[in-house]
Amino acid sequence: MVHILGIKLNDGQRARFALTEFYGVGHHVAHRLCARFQIHDQAKVGELTPFQITSLASFLSSPQTAPPLPKFPLATRYYVPPPPSTPLQKLQEEFREKKAERDAEKAKQAAKIGIQKLPPRDPLNNLKIESELKREIRDNIMHHRSIGTWRGRRHGMGLPVRGQRTRTNAKTAKKLNHMGRFNT
Amino acid sequence: MIGKPTVIPVHKTHPFVAFGTPKPSLLENRILSQPTTIIRQATLDMAKVVEFAKDKPSSATRVCYTGDTGAGKSHLLQQTIQHCYAQKWIVISIPRAFATVNSTTPHTYDLRTRTYLQPEFAYQTLQRILTVNEAQLSTLSSLQTYDLGRAASVPPTEKPLTIPAGSPLPDLIQEGLNDSADAPLVLDALMTELQAQEQHPVLLAIDDFQALFARTLYLDPHFTAIQSYHLSMPRLLMQFASGQRSFGRGAVFGALTTTNSQFPISNDVYLALDLDAERWASPYDKHHKPMQEYLKGILPLHIPTGMTPTEAAGLFEIWMGRNALFADGNDALFLSKYTDSNGNPRNFVWNGLLRSLEGSPLVIDRRKPYPQYNLA
Repeated sequence: MVHILGIKLNDGQRARFALTEFYGVGHHVAHRLCARFQIHDQAKVGELTPFQITSLASFLSSPQTAPPLPKFPLATRYYVPPPPSTPLQKLQEEFREKKAERDAEKAKQAAKIGIQKLPPRDPLNNLKIESELKREIRDNIMHHRSIGTWRGRRHGMGLPVRGQRTRTNAKTAKKLNHMGRFNT
Repeated sequence: MIGKPTVIPVHKTHPFVAFGTPKPSLLENRILSQPTTIIRQATLDMAKVVEFAKDKPSSATRVCYTGDTGAGKSHLLQQTIQHCYAQKWIVISIPRAFATVNSTTPHTYDLRTRTYLQPEFAYQTLQRILTVNEAQLSTLSSLQTYDLGRAASVPPTEKPLTIPAGSPLPDLIQEGLNDSADAPLVLDALMTELQAQEQHPVLLAIDDFQALFARTLYLDPHFTAIQSYHLSMPRLLMQFASGQRSFGRGAVFGALTTTNSQFPISNDVYLALDLDAERWASPYDKHHKPMQEYLKGILPLHIPTGMTPTEAAGLFEIWMGRNALFADGNDALFLSKYTDSNGNPRNFVWNGLLRSLEGSPLVIDRRKPYPQYNLA
């Protein structure tokens, strides 16, 4: 049994499906999360390594502040790797140096042309889940109410908001549409 | 000789048991109780190729079985494995190559090799190679010292893994079996040793060959597909299949699978193996240059779509002998099913013999309300 941010994930479930237990994480976001942390499609929650679990937990606790993902180099056809005894720190230092050189070169090219190159967008950086997402939805509804829009009035009255009929049906809206709907 | 039914005796260290077989063959072997095959003309051709290959480097013999669906490509590959195993080759079989690319095993990026390692698949491959080929591997020793560094899972206070020159190859494999994190390194070292030795010829048999040259289901952290040559296991297989790495003696055999809709045969494979000359190739078809380079020099060996009547008669005898037919087999049943299937082995067996309720005439018993089948 794994607990991430207070949500219980069963060991026997596939990780890609289990991540949808989080409020705000659907199948596509779950797939992206698994790809980010190198969790293959058929991995079960019980098979995740402690490193993967802690990485997931730290990312989901604050997606906006997660460091950007570096683009790691991939082997060409005839690439000969250095011997296995080469220390990992040395490889990482070489990678960082080459990356810094490439970034400096790109910045110089961009400055010459006169454009400002934006960093690549990562959809997961804008991810909101659980209480943060509920707060955003609640704030949106409060905003409609406070500025006196039709939608805000319908939420306040507990009636359908999107133009459905009220002569019959509307049971779900009458049950769920109220101002405190997304209170955590 | 042609059409002769042959039973393949299997035991727990046989490649069919240790490495496994493709699913259709697995189901057939279960129904027949033990693997049974017939000698076809293609089998004799295969034997000649194996005879040619046994004293030459594997880069000189890189063959891929091609043919229509149900023609017997995988079955011929199974016969190749059995033939080489009987001749005491070192046999490495990958019966389901799509398992290396369909995102079912863990993968981790390795900065040193710049590829995604697949430690569990490498671990299982090492285990199976040792199970099947222990006798031959015991006669071989490593020619160089391997300093394999330290696996990520091992604490920094532990000494690095070093395998001295002269270690028997089973001991080298055992080091990889102690920790799955070391398995990719040890598998690479084992393959390097098999490249250097010329005492035993080596067979690398890959079924679902086209899956190595298709889009994989693995995704990198940026959510883009990882190419097969950036995954450690497919890269290893593709290096031997392309001749970039070569066993001192031996061959690489592959077999296409036309029924895998998740990994269909790509345009590059069609072009490289010269399949289906009637397939219309548009100038706008996408081609993948790295894949084309990996496919260069692979010789297609075409399996005829239909069996000859002699071969089909042997197959009919096998199923008749196993009481798989609903009623007694007779010439009329054989000829009708042979004609219906146009001699195609899969259609002949699965859509013909096993789906047929034809046989002896019904028995009329006055004590029973309806005519009965003769099940005696």
